Amino acid sequence: MNEKINVVVLACSQALPQPQALKASLAGAGLKAQVVPEPCSSKIEVYQLLRILAREADMVWMIGCPETVCQYLEGSARMGKRVAYAQTYLIELNLEPQRVGMSILSPGDAEGLKAVAAGIASQAQFLGPLPCHAGAPAAKESNK
Amino acid sequence: MVRGYDRILLAGCDTCVAECAAGGKKEVAEMAAALQLLFCQAGQNKDIREVSVDRQCIQEFLLDVVVAGEQADAVVSLACGAGVQALAALLPNTPVFPGLNTLFIGETAARGMWLENCRGCGDCVLGETGGICPVSRCAKSLSNGPCGGAKEGLCEINISLKLDPPAPCAWLQIYDRLKALGQLDRLTLVRPPKDWSKADSSGPRRVIRPDQQA
Repeated sequence: MNEKINVVVLACSQALPQPQALKASLAGAGLKAQVVPEPCSSKIEVYQLLRILAREADMVWMIGCPETVCQYLEGSARMGKRVAYAQTYLIELNLEPQRVGMSILSPGDAEGLKAVAAGIASQAQFLGPLPCHAGAPAAKESNK
Repeated sequence: MVRGYDRILLAGCDTCVAECAAGGKKEVAEMAAALQLLFCQAGQNKDIREVSVDRQCIQEFLLDVVVAGEQADAVVSLACGAGVQALAALLPNTPVFPGLNTLFIGETAARGMWLENCRGCGDCVLGETGGICPVSRCAKSLSNGPCGGAKEGLCEINISLKLDPPAPCAWLQIYDRLKALGQLDRLTLVRPPKDWSKADSSGPRRVIRPDQQA
């Protein structure tokens, strides 16, 4: 069952300089995982979170730095607001808002990374696959 | 509105509604993804396309949208009401639905906050009021000074609406501004009843500039 759960993690490169470690942890938990490095969590827009969910993922997760160490100053704060906004869409669509989430991770915090990985895996396993990805035909691509 | 259509075009406008984060390219992409999720959950396979133009209210900008719209079963326009209608006029055989509820002509007052600062009344008094509009910014649209309900510089509507940040009393702002400009004498002029015939109560309004016409 878990192999079917597809998780996409968009991670700030400062917070998570080695995304392979997280990917391995999530794969070890039985998830299909992609960990995409980003220059800053603030670069990720709401439409990207929703598009990833619509096209492939059962859960989208963002990882950013603690607000006090964000090199873009407001990056992590913006991440939180965008996650919250994306969740309002999911609520309106009668989907679990937890399918979009976020974690704060200090660069080099190995224990923190373990906890983040465990949290993501646990959340994904609790939610399971998006029903439409599990059975329904995929929506056609847009012209973009 | 679009549940019964298979090929849906979402049309954005990259000027005013993009500035207010309501109907530009990004918001079109948001809505496309949201609709994809919605229809996917319902087990429906829809062809949802995205397009965006610089100005949906000017027909010359709409050529690409019209071509895409003619290939769609329905169009959802995320432009203001003017853009929706301009697009609908060029797509006689395709239904065009509004994706937004257009509220007002606004100013970007801060990041993520837009204020209604012009009501398009057609009889501008900004030159007399220090550049602060009493029609749109005074809750009662008073023409000759404050109502007396202001408290600590704030409009009394804050009591019931609990606005954050609170709305200032426009007439106190006008006073402060005119005082700073050395033009308080403007407040001694009594304005006659406003000419509302140019506002939106006299049927569809139009502006004609013969020198601009073909």
